[in-house]
Amino acid sequence: MKIKLTLAHLYPDNMNLYGDLGNIVTLEKRCSWRQIDLEIIKVNVGDSIDLEKVDLLFLGGGQDQGQKIIATDLLKRKEEIQKEIDRGLVALTICGGFQLFGQYFQTKTEKIPGIGVFDSYTVAGEKRLIGNVVVDISKSSQEWTPGFNHFTPKDKRATLVGFENHSGQTILGSKCKPLGYIKKGFGNRGDGGYEGGVYKNAFGTYLHGSLLPKNPWFADYLISLAYFRRYHDNIDLALLDDQIELEAHRAALTRAETAKTVSI
Amino acid sequence: MRILIANLIAKIARTASRLTKSGGGTTLPGLLAEKIAPNIITKLAGRLPQGTIIITGTNGKTTTAKMLAAILEASGLKVIYNSSGSNLSRGIASFLSLNSNLLGTKVNADIGIFEVDEATMPEITGKISPRLIIVTNLFRDQLDRYGELNKTAEIIGSAIDKSPQSTVLLNGDDPLVADLKKFSHKIRYFGIDEPLVSKSTGAIDSKICLHCGHELDYEYRYFGHLGRYQCPNCGYKKPDLDYKFTKLDLKVDESTALFKNNSEKEDFTIKTKLPGLYNLYNALAACAIASELGIKTFIIQTALEQVSAAFGRMETIAIGKKRLALLLVKNPTGFTQVIETLTYDKKPKNLFLILNDKFADGTDISWIWDAELEMINRLTKNVTVSGLRAEDMLLRLKYADFDLKQILLEKNIALALAAALEKTNDNEVLYVLPTYTAMLELRKILFNRGLVKGLVE
Ligand SMILES: [Zn+2]
Repeated sequence: MKIKLTLAHLYPDNMNLYGDLGNIVTLEKRCSWRQIDLEIIKVNVGDSIDLEKVDLLFLGGGQDQGQKIIATDLLKRKEEIQKEIDRGLVALTICGGFQLFGQYFQTKTEKIPGIGVFDSYTVAGEKRLIGNVVVDISKSSQEWTPGFNHFTPKDKRATLVGFENHSGQTILGSKCKPLGYIKKGFGNRGDGGYEGGVYKNAFGTYLHGSLLPKNPWFADYLISLAYFRRYHDNIDLALLDDQIELEAHRAALTRAETAKTVSI
Repeated sequence: MRILIANLIAKIARTASRLTKSGGGTTLPGLLAEKIAPNIITKLAGRLPQGTIIITGTNGKTTTAKMLAAILEASGLKVIYNSSGSNLSRGIASFLSLNSNLLGTKVNADIGIFEVDEATMPEITGKISPRLIIVTNLFRDQLDRYGELNKTAEIIGSAIDKSPQSTVLLNGDDPLVADLKKFSHKIRYFGIDEPLVSKSTGAIDSKICLHCGHELDYEYRYFGHLGRYQCPNCGYKKPDLDYKFTKLDLKVDESTALFKNNSEKEDFTIKTKLPGLYNLYNALAACAIASELGIKTFIIQTALEQVSAAFGRMETIAIGKKRLALLLVKNPTGFTQVIETLTYDKKPKNLFLILNDKFADGTDISWIWDAELEMINRLTKNVTVSGLRAEDMLLRLKYADFDLKQILLEKNIALALAAALEKTNDNEVLYVLPTYTAMLELRKILFNRGLVKGLVE
């Protein structure tokens, strides 16, 4: 029987900044290379969707205006999303999406409520934090979903690389764990401390880049979790030839050392 | 007196940088001149008897400026324009200073065409009041520098607001640009009126009504968010056009369209050797400005037909029996447009992609994931990738289903160029798609080999 998984792409028309589409392409390809059928459903404002049938949720970043529009629609789905996340639904949220999955975003003028999947809140910062990022996930990943392939410090897969561009600063509460710790870059609070947020199988991060193409192990991790969500069993994903992905990852590590970061 | 000294210094700085070949010949003189005489732009621009035209927007500034210059020259005007890609204030100061007499009492032209970066607009309209401002389009471009698209629109709006006597020409097909009408009373619109359907399936930059925040409905769109739009909630919609193109015919090496000026009875066929829908937009922008200045349509028509590509915009360079075609790429919409143009004919292409991530390229390379490279994955025979982020480009191609056996990665641009040329057969074209600083690097290589005359046009 062919394995089939379903991805819901939330608000692709409004939350599509900074090449976040690359994440969808990566999940799609890495499934299809393994003969896994990944169905992608686009969910825009007002569209109805049965989240019980969804295994993976994706929400990217948007411009301020786009964010405001979808915030209202997202709130209407709050209970359903929370319920399904508690039942193992996998989610990847980037930048603005990550912020809206927290409790709220306090901008300079207003307080935009989020859906509280993450025990976190975001406040507008004075500066915009821009630059290449390297995140260490060797320690943090031990606390992610138990029983899944973790990334040991010696593992070449122990880092995530990407590019951050945000002015919001996101502070995590006790029920939300960091995605990882900054080796290079600013991170959630701009202080070079922790990056992103994790609750059950929901992940939030500021990393664009796109994130998943250059961090294929993280893409595969999400696919494994999505499989578990659907089939209640572990899957041994077939190994792929990731030489090109690894080269790009390595090049990004080097570039993060040489290129300068800015905060304006 | 200050102007005299400023001009003198600027001219010395240019000579010095030319003698030492140190580069910086386009901005250093202006930087110095503005330091010495802060009002130099205001003073010198005021000496142009026919005034100045300002071209701003994300894509198409350089080509539009070049086309317009050709038309104005054909009509007998002496034109100066900053064609060296230096569209910041000091670049404009340089170029005015170097084109005036020492005393600054005379500028050696009738009319000036200034290509101005979006973010520099308020500064420039604070210094000169242009006769006409045109906004070509607004796409996501180097976001890490300018912030978000709506903010870019606001910045241009504030610049227009500072210059109430300027005629403002807006792209009516772009909902973000058309909305700038609120900043001026002298608005004219240009656009395309034809139900073309874009092959593009990708994300739209801006689908949101700026008035009420609702999503816009599109009857059809040309590329990106350009098209026939309407807001179902508040009624904001594509305005009636004063200048428009209809009956488009697009090919890889030339395009034609019918130009309609609402205040004239007759329509004219316009032909350009520059490829792609995006270049037809540039031609339309140039036609609209020229018509607004009262230039006869037949002059516009003949002049436009003669225009060849601007710096790095499908400029072709002969190397032995082979040819290089340079196509600058700087944002996802432009990249997708270039790719789509290359698919107009089905001949397998030699492709050379160079991705840098320096400041002028945009340090965030995420945008390559929004460019629809998939369109051309079956239309290449060999592909070379190079530049500081060559590995990222290769990865993008892998996920766009390119045949990996065709692809060579060489980070050094000079070596990559040699390899790409090697793989290109005689009488074939090598299509080179570099980002901005990669383009400059490539040009330097070609210049050192005597293949191009100057480092800049
Ligand atoms: Zn509206």
